[in-house]
Order: sequence, then C-alpha cells, then structure tokens
Amino acid sequence: MVGAAEEAQLNRLESQVDNGGGGAWEYLCLVRKLKARRSEKVLLHGLSILNNPKDRSRLGGEEWTLYEQVAIAAMDCQKIDVAKECVAALSQKFPGSLRVSRLEGMLLEAKGEWADAEKAYTCLLEENPLDQVIHKRKVAMAKAQGNPSAAVEYLNKYLSTFMADHDAWRELAEIYVGLQMYKQAAFCYEELILCQPAIPPYHLAYADVLYTMGGLENLQTAKKYYASTISLTGGKNTRALYGICLTTVAINQLTKGRNKEEKESPELQFLAPAALLKDYKQRAPEKLPLLTSMLKNMKIIS
Amino acid sequence: MAEDLVLDTAIRDWVLVPLSVVMVLIGILRYFVGKLMRSFQTPDEESQGRVRSPIGQKSHIKSPVLRICGSPVCGLIKIFLDGRQLILRARNLRAAGGFIPGKSFRSRRFYYTNEENGLLFVPKGQAQNPQAQMFSDPNMAMDMMKKNLSMIIPQSLTFAWVNFFSLWFCGSKNTLPIDSKVQINAAKWDRLEHRRSMDDTQRMMQMSGFGVDPTQNLSAEKDGLDIIQHEWILPKMEQRAAEVLQKLVK
Repeated sequence: MVGAAEEAQLNRLESQVDNGGGGAWEYLCLVRKLKARRSEKVLLHGLSILNNPKDRSRLGGEEWTLYEQVAIAAMDCQKIDVAKECVAALSQKFPGSLRVSRLEGMLLEAKGEWADAEKAYTCLLEENPLDQVIHKRKVAMAKAQGNPSAAVEYLNKYLSTFMADHDAWRELAEIYVGLQMYKQAAFCYEELILCQPAIPPYHLAYADVLYTMGGLENLQTAKKYYASTISLTGGKNTRALYGICLTTVAINQLTKGRNKEEKESPELQFLAPAALLKDYKQRAPEKLPLLTSMLKNMKIIS
Repeated sequence: MAEDLVLDTAIRDWVLVPLSVVMVLIGILRYFVGKLMRSFQTPDEESQGRVRSPIGQKSHIKSPVLRICGSPVCGLIKIFLDGRQLILRARNLRAAGGFIPGKSFRSRRFYYTNEENGLLFVPKGQAQNPQAQMFSDPNMAMDMMKKNLSMIIPQSLTFAWVNFFSLWFCGSKNTLPIDSKVQINAAKWDRLEHRRSMDDTQRMMQMSGFGVDPTQNLSAEKDGLDIIQHEWILPKMEQRAAEVLQKLVK
C-alpha cells in the first residue's frame, strides 16, 4: 500500500519526467521502492535509459536492477520481445541465478504458456522449497488462469509455512470473498486484525463480511467493527457510517416484536446518520437530497 | 611514589603500539576470513532444509502442518520448523486477542495449545537433544569446524608471535624488570584475546541454533497463551466511536 504523501511525490516526479525535466532514474527508484505498478511509464523511461549507453554505464551495478525492473514492466505491458531481451541480458550476466530463473518463469507466464511456467516453478521450488516469491507466483498464476480455488489451495499451503505473512492473508481473504466463502474470509480478516490491530481497512472489511453473512449475532458484531473503524479513522470513513446505518436497520428488523432488553450504545444509530448528513452537506451538497430520501426510506431519520 | 610505575618509552614504542596494531589487524583479517568461509544459508527457516536428511523426507510438507501432527515425524518437524513464524503468529494472538470476538479467540487458542495436535504443543520426550541433531547432519558439524578453525589458527599464531616477540625483546635489552613487565603484558593480551574468542564461539553456537532448545520457545508461548484472559475491547471502541461522532456532529 502506498501512502498519500508518497503517492503525491511519485506523481510529481512522474509529471516532471514526462515533461522532460529529468530525474528518470529517481522516478524508477521510487516506483521500485513503493512497489507501484506503473508499468507503461517504467517501460518508457527505463528503456530510454537502457538504450542510451552513456546513461546506462553511469548506473554502474544498478544497471542490472533496471534490466529486471524493465523486464517485469515489459511483461506487464505484453511487450514480450523487450522482456525477452532484458532477461537474456540478465541471464548472460548472471548464469544460473535464481532471480533470473524466476524472471524466465515469469516470461513464460506472460506468454501464456502456463504449463511450461508451472513446470519451471515446480523445478525451482524443488531446489529451493522456501522461496516465497515463487510460491506467490504460483498463486498469481492460478488467479490469472481464472482458477481461484487453485489459488486458495496454493495460498493455504504457503500460509501453513509462512503463517506470519499478512499480505498473503489479505490476498486469501479477498479471494474467499470473491468465492463467497464468507466464513473463511472472516477468519482471514481476524488474522489480519490480530496482526495489525490498528489498521482500519481490516476492521471495515471484516465488518462487511460479517454483515454479508447476516444473522443477529454477526450483525451485532459487524456493527461493533464498523464502530471501531469509525473510532480508528476519527469518523472520516463514509462506508463505516453507512455500515452503522445498515446494520442498525437490519438488527431492528430482526429484533422486531421481541423485547429489546439490552440495546448497546443507542446514540450511535442517531449519530452515524447525522455525521453522514453533515459530511454530505460539506462535501457534496448536490447529493444531499438523495441521501436524505434514502435515510428516510430506511426509517433512520424522520 | 610518582616514579614507581612509569612505562619505559622503548616498551611503549616497540611493544605496546605494535602489539595493539597487530591485534587489530588480526581481528580484521579474521573477520574477512570468517566471511569467506561462511557457507550460504537460506534466509528464513533454514532449518527446514535440514529436515530432509535426518528423516529422509522431502520437505514438501503437505498443507497445514497440523495434519501430519500425531505421527512420530510431527514432533521433529515442529522442532525443526524453527517455529519462528508460528511463534510470531501466536504472539500476535496474545497481544491483540482483544480485537477479535471471544469465539474466534478461543478457537484459535485451542488450535494452538490443545494437547492432542496443537501447533504449540510439544509432546514430552519429543524434545530432541541438539547434540544428536548436530551429528545427524554433517553440514552442521562442518560449519562448526570452519568456525572453530578460523578461531584457533589466528589465535595460536598470535600466541607464538607474542612469545617470540617478548623473548627477542628481552634478549636484546637484557633487562629483567622490563622482561617481566612485557611478559605480563603479553599474557594479559593473550588472556583477553582468548576470552573474547571463547565468547564468540559461544555466541555462534547459539546463533547457529543449537544450544538453545527450540521447543522451549514453543512451550513458553503455549503457557503464555494458556493463562491470558480474553477481554473483547470492541464495546469500548463502540463507546469511543460514539464520542468521536458526537464531537464531529457538533
């Protein structure tokens, strides 16, 4: 994930490079550092450095890092011939290197030769069963082939060894949500919350999953997690505010008729719509009537 | 009184200074030699690679580690697996358990600590002694030898050199008091040097993984998980959210 400040810096640098202001190498370094996916720009500016012998030699040893970066960007842009050249240059420089073998596998992937790529990765894994990147490539490949259940299987296998890798847990959670396996997705989000308890998007996503599953208990829990998202973001998260409204309505529907013996924090269900209304008034006044009529339909405000 | 402990300038110039310089140089040299001789190690969970030879099993451990637990191999693998990631995950549960609902917390705790196939549970008697582990793997012994070699050779060389040096110095000047001083000096240096290298060896023993019993970490983590009480902090968060919104709406 890229922070807002870093993204602004990246954008500034990108427009500077685009307008011929120089600093292409700094831009490429930043893209690499932030792991941003701007393949077209990377391909454009990276190639212009690589094609200029003077610029290239100025990089020294970093030249090979650039080759790698450009190769991956080229694969992303389906410029197979460029990628092939870069990988060839690298494998000439570093014969037998694991990192280059990985790139060769990715090249096969980019060409859509799944079976060959699979074979290459399996080979590499036999030599080096703990290579995290290759495990992740296999997951990505399963996803690219439109086979999420295989991706789930690979991810589970990976996570049984590298169980502290929260990025993998997030990926797994998202795939499970896509497969509508909410119980499993909820488990993954719990794992993510355990790993980094102060990150609001995990609370929000967990609440979403619980809300989708439904049932009184889940809805109540979901409301709590929407509330925790609000307190973690200082009430700035619109989705969480909507979440409170929706869970409130759903809970009221379920408990209708029954005597509501314990009603936790009744003020929240009035505060959330009020906060929403205020936010809309400030930032999008033209959408305010829409919101008001919707909330009225939900019988949250009168 | 002031004169009784003055160092002869000749000793300073010809013994103390060169000795110090040479010691530093030898330290540097040893560092680089050690770097050269260090064998390549896989970055994480290196010990899993070692699983292969003793058990004769490929380390393609099938899906959740849990499933193989219960077989006699399980205990071994669990120990070999180093458990760094496992411990990290269990520690997260201990630290942030309050952030997930009680039901989820308890099921996780059961998963880690139950006495049948819990991940953190190490059956008694499964704890393997590190010596056996060392001898079952020639690589490990080899590493050890290399490390020792890079300690012992320079050490004996310096010892011989210091010996020779002090003898030569005494022989040329032929003054007894200085002689004893030099010898004390040399002996001190040498003892110091010896102790340092001992420390190094011990540290390396610990670093390379034997010397500490990995099962201890697992059991400690298990005990920690067993005793904590789950307190769901979400209701508190809900109150805080209400306060936040109140402030916002105002």
